[in-house]
Amino acid sequence: MKILSTIYKEFLLLIRDPGGMALIFIMPLALVIVMALVQDAPFRDYQELKLDVLLVDMDADSLGNKIRKSFQATGQVNLVEERDSLIARQKVHDGEYKAAIILEPQVSATLRRKTRQLIARVFANFGMDADTSDNADVPTIRLKVLVDPAIKANYRQSLASGIEKIIANVQTTWLLDELQDQLSEGKDSARKIKFDLSQIATVDQSYAATNKFAGLMLNSVQHNVPAWTMFAMFFILYPLAGNFINEREDGSMLRLRLIAGSQFAVITGKFFFYFFVCLLQFVMMICIGIFVMPLLGLNQLVLGGSSALILLTACCVAMAATGYGTLIAVYFRTAQQALSFGSISVVILSAIGGVWVPIYVMPEILQTISRFSPMSWGLESFNDLFLRQASLGTILPNILRLLGFALVTLMASVFIHNSRTVS
Amino acid sequence: MNVVQLGNITKTYVKTGRPAVSDLSLNIPEGAVFGLLGPNGAGKSTTVMMLCGLTRPDSGTVNVLGMDVATHANDVRKKIGVAPQEIALFPTLTAKENLNYFSRMYGLNGHELSRRTDQLLDTFGLTEKANKQVHTFSGGMKRRLNLIAALLHEPRLVILDEPTAGVDVQSRNMILSFLEKLKESGTSIIYSSHVLEEAERICSHIAIVDEGKLIMAGTRQSLMEHHQDCSTLEQLFLKLTGKNIRD
Repeated sequence: MKILSTIYKEFLLLIRDPGGMALIFIMPLALVIVMALVQDAPFRDYQELKLDVLLVDMDADSLGNKIRKSFQATGQVNLVEERDSLIARQKVHDGEYKAAIILEPQVSATLRRKTRQLIARVFANFGMDADTSDNADVPTIRLKVLVDPAIKANYRQSLASGIEKIIANVQTTWLLDELQDQLSEGKDSARKIKFDLSQIATVDQSYAATNKFAGLMLNSVQHNVPAWTMFAMFFILYPLAGNFINEREDGSMLRLRLIAGSQFAVITGKFFFYFFVCLLQFVMMICIGIFVMPLLGLNQLVLGGSSALILLTACCVAMAATGYGTLIAVYFRTAQQALSFGSISVVILSAIGGVWVPIYVMPEILQTISRFSPMSWGLESFNDLFLRQASLGTILPNILRLLGFALVTLMASVFIHNSRTVS
Repeated sequence: MNVVQLGNITKTYVKTGRPAVSDLSLNIPEGAVFGLLGPNGAGKSTTVMMLCGLTRPDSGTVNVLGMDVATHANDVRKKIGVAPQEIALFPTLTAKENLNYFSRMYGLNGHELSRRTDQLLDTFGLTEKANKQVHTFSGGMKRRLNLIAALLHEPRLVILDEPTAGVDVQSRNMILSFLEKLKESGTSIIYSSHVLEEAERICSHIAIVDEGKLIMAGTRQSLMEHHQDCSTLEQLFLKLTGKNIRD
């Protein structure tokens, strides 16, 4: 009854505190929406983005056409023709275009000549008839790709790989053509076979999952909703500590200390109330991910895993967050100390916990440190459940870590609070 | 029978390094309104905190209602009611919500809870304001509600620390009248205050402490008789504690 009374009292205090309500419910919602929108583009990988790239084709031969056809087929690059390489350089420098591909004059002819020389040398090597009259040293063909310094490294790498793949393809096709020409000695060219190189070997990518969630990737919504939900849940320390210290300063905590047996009810009641608030935050944020994000042009949040396990993880994160908030509340003597330390520590824990950016993109040292952040335990569990439909066995280690963290912080809070009840 | 027996208690806070209470011995008889008087820093609040079990004496014994506070602090707290000097209430809860919450923490429920809160709100003229949030109250109303919160569980011993600080004449009169009635019902009261006229009006016994030491204790009448050169309690107080300002 005493615990229920404390929960009800905390409820009344919260609903009459518009600032606290905004901090608990409105700010996190705004935060998760803004962060999902802001991080949407960075989360989309090269396959999802269409880069505007200039093509300066001074060659006006087969290689340029092949590049056009190949990029058109992939749909990843929007090629824009430009005649002047200096203008192209300026446009890329100004950031107007992400890159420019420059084909120097005679590049196709040079490539053809090199393949012809190559085949002739092979034939001659095996003692077969071959036209070896052209044995001049032809320089290596170098295609120029100018890139915007602001372009991400992986985009630059993807673009270069794409062009290299096109050239390799062209080179192989021309080698085969030249081989057939030399074998037929220029006769009966109608018998030449046109090869479709893609039929020889191709890379078939698929997702390891075989259920209906196969193909579900970590996107802005899948990352940001659970990540910022945890951030908001840990930020519960702000109203929790503020309220606790206010009660200490205005004397109501003293009155409660003067009531026999009230301390356990006070701490436990506060813990359970803010635990429920955390769960409410979680449900609200998940609803935002499912129902609001698609309206903003973002992906819909997909809860791939078992609902029971998701709820279990949310409960464990809520307990860890409330335990941490309670510890901050009882340890610090002034609101300024508690709220400053508390909010900065939550930002640090969230940063190393993978809330701001996924842990796998962090330096190795931070990846090691992140193992000690309760937010990384929670986020890893949510990712396991949402993206990999993990079982209880998979998430159990992180669940136990979160529960352990909650238990330790709560016990430390009770110990500190009790030790300060009597001076 | 004595409701409070203090035996040579001493308490020194680490921060100040000097004793807040020094070798203090005191007996408070049952049914008394006991005025604990002294200038600022005399050790009154420390003594009160030791009576409640919130501060442990470095040495000496504190016995309240026949129980050793060191070993039975919770049992003692169940039987005492304390109105601290601060307005120890939740400002955004209504008067009724505050009292309901504290009542439940005292273990009151149902009919008993309603009866006690309604009765005390009525006694202190707060029934009409029962559903208003405390932060909208005047100083006098807050002070009365602060007192009510200490009386909800019908304690045998009531400890009041400056119960009339910052209140108007009407509220003060209401509080003092109530305390006089409470005294008649046999409840023991420890009354810590700077307002000596109030102590003169309601206290049957008085102890004057200064710099942590007991200067004098006894019935009000016996003290005044012993110091016939002092016609008021204030004159006696100044005579015993001096006229130097204490900060």
